[in-house]
Amino acid sequence: MIEIAAFRIEEALLGQGLPSFADGKLVVGDIAAGDETLREMRARIVAPGEAVRIENALDVVLPTCDAADPGVSFPGVVGPHGAAVGERLNRLEGLVVVPVCDWLAAGYAQAEEFPGSYIDRDGPGAALDPWRSESMLVLEFIPVPGTPAGEADASIRKVTLGVARDLAATTLGKQADRVEVFGPTPAGALPRVCAILQAGSEGPLLDTYLRGRPLLDQAPLVLPIEDLFGGAVTAGAYDWAGMRNPTACYQSSALIRELLARDGRELSFAGAILTLGYLDGAEAKREMAAHNVELAVSLRAQAAVCTTFESGNSHTDTMLTVQALERAGVRTVALVAETNGGLTDHVPEADCLVSTGNEDESVAAWTPDETIGGAAPLGPIPAALHLGALTQMGDARLQAVPA
Amino acid sequence: MGIATVVITALPTIAQMVGANRVLRGVSITHPTGDPSLGPAEERALRRRIVERALEMLATDVDPRTVWEVSS
Amino acid sequence: MKVVHYLNQFFAGLGAEEAARHEPIRLEGPQGPGKGLVAAGLQVDITLACGDDYFGEHETEALGWLLDRLSDEAPDVLICGPAFGSGRYGYACGVLGREAARRGYAVVTAMTQDNPGVIAAEGAAYIVPTTSNVAGMRAALPTIADLATRLANGETIGSPEEEGYLPRGLRRNEIVERTAAARAVELLLAKIGGETRTEVAPSAGRVTPAPKVADISAATIALVTESGCVPLGNPDRLPTRHSNVWLRYRLDGVGSLGSDGYESVHAGFDTTAANVDPNRLVPLDAMRELERENAVGGLYEELFTTSGVDTPVAVAATFGCEMAEVLVSAGVRAVILTGT
Repeated sequence: MIEIAAFRIEEALLGQGLPSFADGKLVVGDIAAGDETLREMRARIVAPGEAVRIENALDVVLPTCDAADPGVSFPGVVGPHGAAVGERLNRLEGLVVVPVCDWLAAGYAQAEEFPGSYIDRDGPGAALDPWRSESMLVLEFIPVPGTPAGEADASIRKVTLGVARDLAATTLGKQADRVEVFGPTPAGALPRVCAILQAGSEGPLLDTYLRGRPLLDQAPLVLPIEDLFGGAVTAGAYDWAGMRNPTACYQSSALIRELLARDGRELSFAGAILTLGYLDGAEAKREMAAHNVELAVSLRAQAAVCTTFESGNSHTDTMLTVQALERAGVRTVALVAETNGGLTDHVPEADCLVSTGNEDESVAAWTPDETIGGAAPLGPIPAALHLGALTQMGDARLQAVPA
Repeated sequence: MGIATVVITALPTIAQMVGANRVLRGVSITHPTGDPSLGPAEERALRRRIVERALEMLATDVDPRTVWEVSS
Repeated sequence: MKVVHYLNQFFAGLGAEEAARHEPIRLEGPQGPGKGLVAAGLQVDITLACGDDYFGEHETEALGWLLDRLSDEAPDVLICGPAFGSGRYGYACGVLGREAARRGYAVVTAMTQDNPGVIAAEGAAYIVPTTSNVAGMRAALPTIADLATRLANGETIGSPEEEGYLPRGLRRNEIVERTAAARAVELLLAKIGGETRTEVAPSAGRVTPAPKVADISAATIALVTESGCVPLGNPDRLPTRHSNVWLRYRLDGVGSLGSDGYESVHAGFDTTAANVDPNRLVPLDAMRELERENAVGGLYEELFTTSGVDTPVAVAATFGCEMAEVLVSAGVRAVILTGT
């Protein structure tokens, strides 16, 4: 059973001193700039509708802490690695934390391969932002020159998640505006449905973390929902903004919420599996697909919802998983983003697909009054570069339709 | 299982567009695996290199719609 | 209203296949079909022409030059073709049309529905469907002229059915009420209940890459070609275009495709160089060399051949399936396919 207590923010300001929350007003206070790998950190609150473009947005994190013991929040990154989390969570609503780092300006050549990651608070791109109604606490980080990228990123993630925890901790002991309760799962003859969540783990700046460790050798595994909502899975991949999963998508997964909402009514929720995409080579991909099926079968799942991470050959991983599941008698639906050239990959068994949008479609050029985190590009930007716009975990409201 | 296929063509974009996954750029539209501007021995050597590269591509797992050049 | 017309070497009067490598060139006034456009009521101010092979093999340079000329001329509309069934010409029209359209020019082009240029255009340009051959010129020109005039005047263009152009296959993003997650669960429940629906289906030709060949030195490789390579004299009359068949020829004891034994009957390119040495189309001599050295396990005993000229994708796909069936029965897991 999971309880999430939600506290609505009516007003947020930076202020000074310790963070506080009272009567809907959040004061962020002083934020420790991190350790010796970070030269500077600037904090700024950007409200919805401001003519501001945020560039090099790394992630979106929901301010959340464990209600029983805030010290265990975000296990492995901020909290201790092995803590049980997520049975009771306190979450602030109305503000999200957005870390920013201009890797290229900081001298990291690898960043040349990062296509850009934008959040527009106004203009034509604003509609693509799943968090467009939230205020954003933007934390702009500048690493100390010469620090290895992985170390700088680890510091950035630790500071960011620490802030998310500390802000939420201001609600402890206060009256929530709303409490959501999930579970326990009733027994019955309803179809058992699991979720298979794909993430990518390809090294520093291209990683996903489970309890602070790169997912790479740990997947696939059955992931308790407490862990998922409780911040055990955090993002650290900074390419393909539109199609990756910001941390917020794990913390508040629309897919898991949907399955839980229908649990005991139209389906029986069998659990979530965390798996990898971008496996190296056909054989490794087939092995992972087979392993996913084994786990789905161990959960007694009769059907599965498969999500995808980013673009390119991860779509092959999704399709091979769909194929293996269908051949094992498990019915599937998969979430994929499209390109101007159609689907990236397909198998005949993939007869039930949700399109999270066309990643190549251009969003009209916009000149903001101000940009944070980089040099403003001119001209239209493809949807693929708007953070979270086409997330294939299904949290956004985009769909590609025939023009 | 699939039959691994390398398409050798001087128009790799078209091959990609119709879904070929292993594409090797050929010399020219009118002679994908040869070059009349070379002497016979050089042309034989070039053709051998092209075929070796094609075999290499067959022996490699690729992302969908990958194009290789003969010289890399 | 200023109009620029793009043609290939043949329609611009620069020559036939021997001029296929002609560099791009600017000509005053209408050329070839451009005069037909004039007769249909459109003025043609400038003609840009380029050899089909030149465009195909130097796409970056050709495209750059042509886009620079467009920038100089600043036309109200660009017309490309008609390319009819010509794959290379259609491809050039599709690519130029796409890039011009994305830079804000109004563009109309024309070709057969199956022309690779349609895919190359990626829905950016308006494409009027034509017949495979030039006989369709008279029917196509008035539609092209009309669409071009209205685009140049900034008029709104109606649906493909109303206006007579090909559906553009565009997929546009729309903000909808339900999250993708909610839609996914709904579709899955419907599927469990017996009703399978999908929001998106594959376009033609998306296949997962076949796994690599584990040991090339032990593998049998088959040679396949669409270059129209056949025994000298074309004894089984392989069609030179619109082929509805593919043929098989045994390679026992054949170490090389010599000009005394083989030729190309492909109608889509200048076969002069290839016919001097058909190994330039199908690299048999090099394969035999590597076979002798045990770099490959062996060569499959037959060459599969067809002429890939104006071949509909569906027909080519059928050929591929038929060939695959033969090869799978023979235990062949790898193919080298040469294209022109």
